[in-house]
Amino acid sequence: MSFVVGTALLAVVTALACALPGTFIVLRRSSMLVDAISHAVLPGIVLGYVVTRDLDSPLLIVGAALAGLLVVLGSEWLTRTGLIAGDAPQGLIFPALFSVGVILVSASFANVHLDTHAVLVGDLNLAAWDQLTVGTVSIGPTYLYVMLGMLALNVGVIAVLYSRLKATTFDPQFAASQGIRTGLVNTAFMFLVSLTVTAAFNAAGAILVLALVTVPPATAYLVSRTLPAMLVLTVTIAAVGALAGFWLAYVLDAATSAGMAVLFGVLFCVVLGATRLTQRRRVRAGATAPARQAAPLR
Amino acid sequence: MTPAEFLGDHTFRMVLLGTMAIGVVSGALGSFAYLRKQSLISDVISHAALPGALIAFLVAAALGWDGRSMPVLIIGAVVVGTLAALFANGTTRVSKIRIDTAMAVSLSVFFGLGMLLMRVIANGSFPGKGGIQDYLFGNASVMTVADLVTSISVGGIALAVMLVMWKEFTLRTLDPDHASVLGFGARTIDAVMFATIVVAVVIGVKAVGLVLMVAFVVTPPAAARQWTRTLPGMVALSGAIGGVGSGVGAYVSIALGNIPTGPVIVLTLFAILVISLVASPRRSLVTSALARRRARAAVTRELAMEEGSR
Amino acid sequence: MTAPPPPGSTAPLACATHQLSVAYRETPVLRAVDLRVPAGVVMGVVGPNGAGKSTLIKAMLGLVPPLTGRTEFFGGPLSRARQRVGYMPQSASVDWDFPTTVLDVVTMGTYGSLGWLKRPGKAQRDAAVDALRTTGMADLAHRQIGELSGGQRQRVFLARTLVQAPDLYFMDEPFQGVDAKSQRAIVTVLHALRAQGTTVVMVHHDLATVTDYCDHVTLLNQCIVASGPTVEVFTKENIRTTYDVTTGDDTFLDLIA
Repeated sequence: MSFVVGTALLAVVTALACALPGTFIVLRRSSMLVDAISHAVLPGIVLGYVVTRDLDSPLLIVGAALAGLLVVLGSEWLTRTGLIAGDAPQGLIFPALFSVGVILVSASFANVHLDTHAVLVGDLNLAAWDQLTVGTVSIGPTYLYVMLGMLALNVGVIAVLYSRLKATTFDPQFAASQGIRTGLVNTAFMFLVSLTVTAAFNAAGAILVLALVTVPPATAYLVSRTLPAMLVLTVTIAAVGALAGFWLAYVLDAATSAGMAVLFGVLFCVVLGATRLTQRRRVRAGATAPARQAAPLR
Repeated sequence: MTPAEFLGDHTFRMVLLGTMAIGVVSGALGSFAYLRKQSLISDVISHAALPGALIAFLVAAALGWDGRSMPVLIIGAVVVGTLAALFANGTTRVSKIRIDTAMAVSLSVFFGLGMLLMRVIANGSFPGKGGIQDYLFGNASVMTVADLVTSISVGGIALAVMLVMWKEFTLRTLDPDHASVLGFGARTIDAVMFATIVVAVVIGVKAVGLVLMVAFVVTPPAAARQWTRTLPGMVALSGAIGGVGSGVGAYVSIALGNIPTGPVIVLTLFAILVISLVASPRRSLVTSALARRRARAAVTRELAMEEGSR
Repeated sequence: MTAPPPPGSTAPLACATHQLSVAYRETPVLRAVDLRVPAGVVMGVVGPNGAGKSTLIKAMLGLVPPLTGRTEFFGGPLSRARQRVGYMPQSASVDWDFPTTVLDVVTMGTYGSLGWLKRPGKAQRDAAVDALRTTGMADLAHRQIGELSGGQRQRVFLARTLVQAPDLYFMDEPFQGVDAKSQRAIVTVLHALRAQGTTVVMVHHDLATVTDYCDHVTLLNQCIVASGPTVEVFTKENIRTTYDVTTGDDTFLDLIA
């Protein structure tokens, strides 16, 4: 597999792995929580390194995901105390954890190759550098297979949890009254998101992972009438946007994940504008035609 | 290191004064974001400040000015930061997208734009492009006298605007519907209020870094809220917590040597928050746990008395 | 339509609370509530705003932690009777922009009885269509839920509870913000449930219709003022106590009588 094809595939798989759980993130109004999770990755990895002393250990990913979960549960707990209002709980814990990470890195591990800049910004080409070979034939970047595994895990868990996720997202109180363990579903799902964000930051950077998780589902949300439709549309937008963004960055010699984020942003604005236009047209037509309630369905 | 030695050093003095100014301004103005339940907008603004500053740098470089001068960068960051905040709020107004997703989209896309520009600048040959990277993590030790003067005067203007428009800000914050009814022009007040918050964030980004700036805006008001009941009290205490926390954090980071200032300040502010949550006599974990136990005891007592009278 | 079963102390209880108290922060909302709901009655829960009507239902269903006390369903804990208890929450509790159709929402009523891996199949969807027909919403099955009026939303919620076919219904203000047509549809369902001998506990706002809809009534203002057959306890005196209306100001009571 050529380097470019392998890297492009990595971009697409990463985008898919992020956007799939992102659908529920957007519906559950937890988008900014993903931002918080992504910043817990650094301290999680640093602490994982303190334990394992091995930068390639898979335990680092689990450690970082646990740190992400800590941010989620901590914010939810702060909200429940009723002492802190609005969205502030989400903005309190992650800067503190991130600070711990930065201080640990600068104080104790200055000699270890742990680039805080790379953690935040990421570099797809760097992530694709390490190639997996069978015999003498390259079968693509090693990290591609990590992300494929993550994607498969996401598909599997969301397939199993689908009904419960949907019910707890739509009406948590009713779901709880039916005996669905809403807290357990929430924690399991947010751990999956944490794991995904951790796995993806290598390729996209902690902050741009947020774009991959939230922008494609937000775009699909604008025009979807059912959840399956939104899922399909999200996945399509993620794949197409990732490919186009990768190609654009390649041609313009720009940063890949940043290019993808901006392209997703442009797509979002286009769809937002289009829905706004049709809405306005419908309103104008509505002045003469029967009201929207009575309008026949497609 | 004794405090006297500390204050005798020019660089240390700059760091101390600079971070304290940032702490006071962002703490005071952060109160309004907190009470409007939109604290995280500061995170959006700080990330959007990056492309703002970079665009300003590129424009200035094209015009042959000094691209790294603080006023130029601040103007760029304020303009683009305000745009990002307006984009997030505007999206929720014109579509069914909620504020959390709108902020996430705005934050990540503007930051992506910043990263694209960063690459352009890194690849190009621009005078004085070094130091632009500091915006990510911030670097308090490179603060010059000119930077300090700019921060203090711009932050001072934002605080002055807050004082001049105090009545309008208060009304809009505590009773949004009422403010519109009185015909104050809710949109105008909002725009001014968010602009002051943008200024508070932007002046801090260079010293603290765009990632940690959110803590300067969120933590002091959250801590101050536990001790106060009135808006003036909260704004004043929040500003004071921001200033003192920054000062202590800056001193500790320098005294311990070779530890980045921003993160130490953030941890100091976090410690103040934890103390407030645990120990505030008015509202805290301890008092609410006690109150709950008292309520349970009172009900149980009531029941026992009824049982006895039966 | 059959008459409601005669209320007597020997009738089995559908559910009962024992000394149930709830506090939000330090303020008590419910004090030592002993509510007994005989099987087969329509029990209205009425009281002024802030009397703790919704909280009572939520605390019984374990959705709010009680300060003291417990609740029994059919003589056992909730965990053993989960599938026999249905809940129709207030419509405000839901995200109406959620991308889903009416039929889909009603099908969600069956999720509680499905295992972790099971998907709702034809049986579940047929049950949902039936429930929609019962509430007169079958024509709108494929509408997006955001496109419904307030009354239609309530009917969808009712259908979602009906599809579970529970023995005991909890309804939180089913008539709130409802148009005349939806009101008639919901009343029809209510009467049909009563005829089947199903038990309904309903938070109700409109005092004027209490005697029409409810066999039993509980007058609640933080604690139970009176509870029992409507004819016995729905008296001016009790209502006055519950709503804190001063004696002599009977215009309020005349309005509802």
